[in-house]
Amino acid sequence: MPGHLIAPGDLLSRRILVIDDEEANVLLLIALLKREGYNDVHGITDPARAMQAYIDLAPDLVLLDLMMPEVDGFQLLEAFGRHERADEYRPVLVLTADTTLQARRRALSLGAKDFVAKPFDVIEVALRISNLLETRLLYERLRAQQA
Amino acid sequence: MNLTRFLTRFWADRPLALKGLVVVALPLAILLVSLSLLFQASHAEEEAEDDVRRAFAVQRDTYQVHALLAEAAAGVRGYVLTRQARFLEPYRKAEADLPPTFDRLDGIIRDAEIRQRFERIRSLAVRKREGLHTIVELADGRLGNERNTAEIEAALVSNKIVLDAMRQEIDRIQVRENALLDQRLRRVEQVRNRFLLLTAISAIVGLLGSLAAVYLFSTGIVRRIGNLEDNAERLAQGEALNDLPQDADEIGRLAQRLTRASALLRGREQALRESEERFRLVIEEVRDYGIFALDPDGVVTSWNLGAERIKGWTAPEILGQHFSHFYPDETRDFLPAQMLQRARDRGTVEDEGWRLRKDGSRFWANVVITSLHDDNGQVRGFAKVTRDMTERRRSEEALRMAREDAIAANLAKSEFLSRTSHELRTPMSAILGFGQLLELDEETLSPPHRAAVQQIMKAGRHLLSLINDLLDISSIEAGATDMSIEAVDLDDVVQEVHALAAPIVATGGLTFQLEAAEPGLIAQADRRRLIQVLLNLIANAAKYNRTGTCVRLAYGRRGDDIRLEVEDDGEGIDPSAASRLFTPFDRLGQQSKTRVEGTGLGLALSKRLVESMSGQIGYEAPAQGARFWFTLPAAPSTPDKPED
Repeated sequence: MPGHLIAPGDLLSRRILVIDDEEANVLLLIALLKREGYNDVHGITDPARAMQAYIDLAPDLVLLDLMMPEVDGFQLLEAFGRHERADEYRPVLVLTADTTLQARRRALSLGAKDFVAKPFDVIEVALRISNLLETRLLYERLRAQQA
Repeated sequence: MNLTRFLTRFWADRPLALKGLVVVALPLAILLVSLSLLFQASHAEEEAEDDVRRAFAVQRDTYQVHALLAEAAAGVRGYVLTRQARFLEPYRKAEADLPPTFDRLDGIIRDAEIRQRFERIRSLAVRKREGLHTIVELADGRLGNERNTAEIEAALVSNKIVLDAMRQEIDRIQVRENALLDQRLRRVEQVRNRFLLLTAISAIVGLLGSLAAVYLFSTGIVRRIGNLEDNAERLAQGEALNDLPQDADEIGRLAQRLTRASALLRGREQALRESEERFRLVIEEVRDYGIFALDPDGVVTSWNLGAERIKGWTAPEILGQHFSHFYPDETRDFLPAQMLQRARDRGTVEDEGWRLRKDGSRFWANVVITSLHDDNGQVRGFAKVTRDMTERRRSEEALRMAREDAIAANLAKSEFLSRTSHELRTPMSAILGFGQLLELDEETLSPPHRAAVQQIMKAGRHLLSLINDLLDISSIEAGATDMSIEAVDLDDVVQEVHALAAPIVATGGLTFQLEAAEPGLIAQADRRRLIQVLLNLIANAAKYNRTGTCVRLAYGRRGDDIRLEVEDDGEGIDPSAASRLFTPFDRLGQQSKTRVEGTGLGLALSKRLVESMSGQIGYEAPAQGARFWFTLPAAPSTPDKPED
């Protein structure tokens, strides 16, 4: 059980980056995460700056919208993949209003770890976020033990 | 008359070899006959001359007999008077010569009367010689003397009488011989005359015979060959042949064959003419194709109705003109010559492009040029078939554009739907998300704020379901929905639906009944869409059943289909409104009557979903409540069920 291994504080201090061109959605997710107790949450509404923020902040989890002007979520997923080391596990949760099967498949094949359709149930999203962060944390520990 | 005709026929029917033989043999036969006649004539003349010669010989010999005896008698008389021996010489000569002379005469005398007299003369001559012999002996004294003189006198006298008698006989012979000679001379004359006549006749007959033979030949053969030649000429000119008698010889047969050949030729010519005529008529009357001919230089030599209709020129206007008139300025200088050259090289050439009408307007033409060759393989012209493709090109263009438009429109629609979906959901996400956050923290809100949040969430969820249904219907109608039709285990699906719908049904205080007519039914369907339809129908039944007790889901096989029914035991549906059940947004007045929430799109969406899975959907009124049914194609075989 993860509960035995991970203290709630470990998860809540993890850095989360929210990328969405709609400010309302960024604010919603930040409000949700703050309410859940996360204290290192960053939001980006200009997708052109997203990659730089990703590099600068090195977040533990990315919440990513797909349909954005100039640079869309698929391009960012590809860019993350290129930037990341092969043994790094830095999960991306895709949150999109594009509910088509194609979009879902494409996002997951480009490295997204989870996919939630908008509008979403906030509780479900909060659960998925904590799951992904938990996996990330366990992975880091495993790597630290092996090293 | 019959005989003549028969002979003519008979002659005409003989083979030519026989006729030639006859033509040569006829004058030859005539010549042979005249020769034999000549031979006979000369033979007769010879005989006649023989007779004459014999007559002279008889005359000479009889005179000789007389002369010998007369001289012998004179000699004997002399001897009697002189006793000189030299007077006895004639007597001895006569003794020596008479027998051969008589023998000769005996050999040549033919005439019976002369022979009679000759026999008398011969006996008289015997007596004379005996008499003379007696006289000589008497004179020699061997028979006495004096008495001898008297006896000699008597003997002389009797001798003289014998001689006279002989002389008379000889004269008569002479007379007879003369008569015979005359007769024979006359006969010789006659024979000679006859000979001359025969010769003349032979000459004439031979000449006439030859002429007749030539005439025969000419009439029988030369004339007929002339007729044949005439007919051959007619055959060559294609005219009707003269009727010739049907003779059985070579010429006759040749004539018959010529006649037959002519009939065959005329038959073929007739057929050819008719076929050409038909072909010409067909070509001329063809209206959809311009068909015309060009000479080797490209000058128009024939023109049909179609060409006139398509290009505008009438035949008299265009015949004799070069076909480059049909080409617009930009191609006129090179394309016509190129087309002809390619037709020469390859036999046929096809082209599509702009051509000119008489009035200068353009039309899009399909052109096929075929080269025509004479017997020596030389190009003697071209056949050109032109089709006006303007309409077809126009409609093809229109069709292509319509198709492109449709594809573009479809793409645009899909794109629009996708964007609309995104654009509508994105703000909905913020509204519902924040609303949910407020709900989660409702204890911090005042009661009026709490009620306001509840209204926002209710309206927001309704709006979201409206948006979802609307986009679903639109995307199905745009063909933009991905249906993954597969074999679906109905028992499985129904269990899932039951699990999902049970809370909704329970909310209405109803029981949920499942009825499977047979287990293991497999349908051809999109599993997700099938569940969507069933949930729609069950939710409707649960929502509108205010008086009944249950919602029933039943399914079973119907022929090649599987039929599913969702039934309730509520108030049912007003029969007059049943036809509007599947119309979008038509809620049959339920919103005001029952205050049941709904988008008015559930049934319309279900109908489209079922139809795009090759099924049918409908409503029927049972004794109590309402019953919706739909069908799906049954899968051909049962797939392996996962073992779990």
